[in-house]
Amino acid sequence: MFLAIKELKHGKLRFLMIGVITVLIAWLVFILSGLGNGLSTLSAATFKNMNASYVTFEDDSRSSMSRSLLSESLAKKLENQTNVSAASAMGATMGTVLNHSDSDDKEKIDIAILGISPGSFLEPNVIDGKPLQASKPLEVIANDTLKKKGFKIGDTLKIEGSLEKMEIVGFVKNETYNHLPAIFTTLDKWRSIQFAAPGSDKGIEKPVNAIMLQGENIDSEKLNKLFNHTETVTKSTAVQGMPGYKEENGTIMMMLAFLLAISAFVLGVFFYVITLQKSNQFGILKAFGASNRFLGRAIVSQVFLLSFISIIAGILLTYGTALILPDEMPFSLDLKLVVLYALLLLVISVLSSLVSVRKITKIDPLQAIGRME
Amino acid sequence: MSGIQLKNVSKQYQQGENQVLALDDISLTVEQGEFIAVIGPSGSGKSTFLAIAGALLHASKGAVILNGKNLSELKPKDLVRLRLEEIGFILQTSNLIPYLNVLEQLLVVKKMAGKLVKEDKEFAKELLQSLGLATKLEKLPEQLSGGERQRTAIARAFINNPSIILADEPTASLDSMRAHEVVQLIAKETKIRNKAAIMVTHDERMLEYCDKVYRMEDGRLKHDDSFSHEKLKTISTKG
Repeated sequence: MFLAIKELKHGKLRFLMIGVITVLIAWLVFILSGLGNGLSTLSAATFKNMNASYVTFEDDSRSSMSRSLLSESLAKKLENQTNVSAASAMGATMGTVLNHSDSDDKEKIDIAILGISPGSFLEPNVIDGKPLQASKPLEVIANDTLKKKGFKIGDTLKIEGSLEKMEIVGFVKNETYNHLPAIFTTLDKWRSIQFAAPGSDKGIEKPVNAIMLQGENIDSEKLNKLFNHTETVTKSTAVQGMPGYKEENGTIMMMLAFLLAISAFVLGVFFYVITLQKSNQFGILKAFGASNRFLGRAIVSQVFLLSFISIIAGILLTYGTALILPDEMPFSLDLKLVVLYALLLLVISVLSSLVSVRKITKIDPLQAIGRME
Repeated sequence: MSGIQLKNVSKQYQQGENQVLALDDISLTVEQGEFIAVIGPSGSGKSTFLAIAGALLHASKGAVILNGKNLSELKPKDLVRLRLEEIGFILQTSNLIPYLNVLEQLLVVKKMAGKLVKEDKEFAKELLQSLGLATKLEKLPEQLSGGERQRTAIARAFINNPSIILADEPTASLDSMRAHEVVQLIAKETKIRNKAAIMVTHDERMLEYCDKVYRMEDGRLKHDDSFSHEKLKTISTKG
């Protein structure tokens, strides 16, 4: 630590340069993780937030709501199975709404219309207004991002392709589905929108897209056998089945992986080069009796310090960036992820310095004191 | 016994197909408080001699006994430790660490051995004071003159209270006034602190400060009587 700090102080410019590179890399890593987190929230927040652990889809639908069609009556049967404590059906469809109350602002907005049973565990808590009621099918609760589009409680919505007007009675938080703000309505209402065309329900009685299950250690294999043409998967598999979810996440993850690899090499090479530059100095110290351990620790602690400071700076810059990013940007920083990536960066940089440590162990003190050819 | 003893030390090198005998049956004893010089032309084996005495190289034959320890019996790790604790090196150039000030140059050697205690700092200051560097403690190497740098290196050699001091052409990079000053200081510290000191040099003007002079030629070491002990003694006490 002694040598490390003294040298950092002495060679400010040199270490500042590599520090800046590390800051930029860390900054980009955190921004990407925020973006990835924001995107996956946008894509599947409703799924992620719902208090269910398993989802039952139609067989061969590959865990996708849009490909799956089941009868609502299945929910009752599933509820009676072992380990299943509750089951509730859900339907999803995409739509476009117009704010009917505000005549000045006639902007069309894309939304996800989610059909649920009012009062079931699938209904999110309202942060404003009142919840859904089965007896009032024309009332909906909406994600609070619609507030920014000018919607208020009591406003009426007109869904394109439907003649009915619906009223917003409550707002919920952080409910997005398939990159769109979610609007919750009753299953019946949802069905009347989704299956308006005759025959589109394929003759299924009370069709829904999927049935969410609550309960621990549900034997999905057994359920698959018991109910023909169904497939029960964990919630995380269902999240992966959201349209575009895997692709978006995969892209971001790939970029993150490359960034981490690049940071390892940049730091590794930089410290290797300055170790080479100092190999004579290290050799002399070894002649004086410095152990490899002592010198290795000097390098590793230097890398650690520099990375640590740079990563902290990167985190601060990222939170600063978050403040100025437009609200529409799918950017949300998860403190857990930030800490995780910070630690990962730190570990990678320290590991990359081991190349230099290895170099030190190979330095011959005899050569350094310049007396042997 | 303390000090250093070389008993019938030989060193052979394989150079291509030839066997080179760099050291040929050398015996030498340097007692505590004794400052000896080894002179000789380049290629005579001085470097090899220094490397072996400095525990940086193993002898092919014979024994090197440093402060009662036979170096050939020590493991590499223990040799590193031994160099740290028992040997003080003074090299041709001061080889100071560019980003440490004068005091820290000494303390870092102490740190290699373990935790730094208050006494170490006191001792470092005392050493630097006796080498005339009391006002330069906070200076970086780049702010020092050549002589001051070499004096810092001398202080560094003494900081761990070693048994022997090995000086390798310590005056090579200095003008003659500074050279005299530096060798004088090595001699003085050796006497005050009761160390065994060996200086390898080709600068015959510096021999007046030494107790004994050995001449190295083709790997053989001979005591050089032309510099009689008495004569050297009188000069060195004068100096």
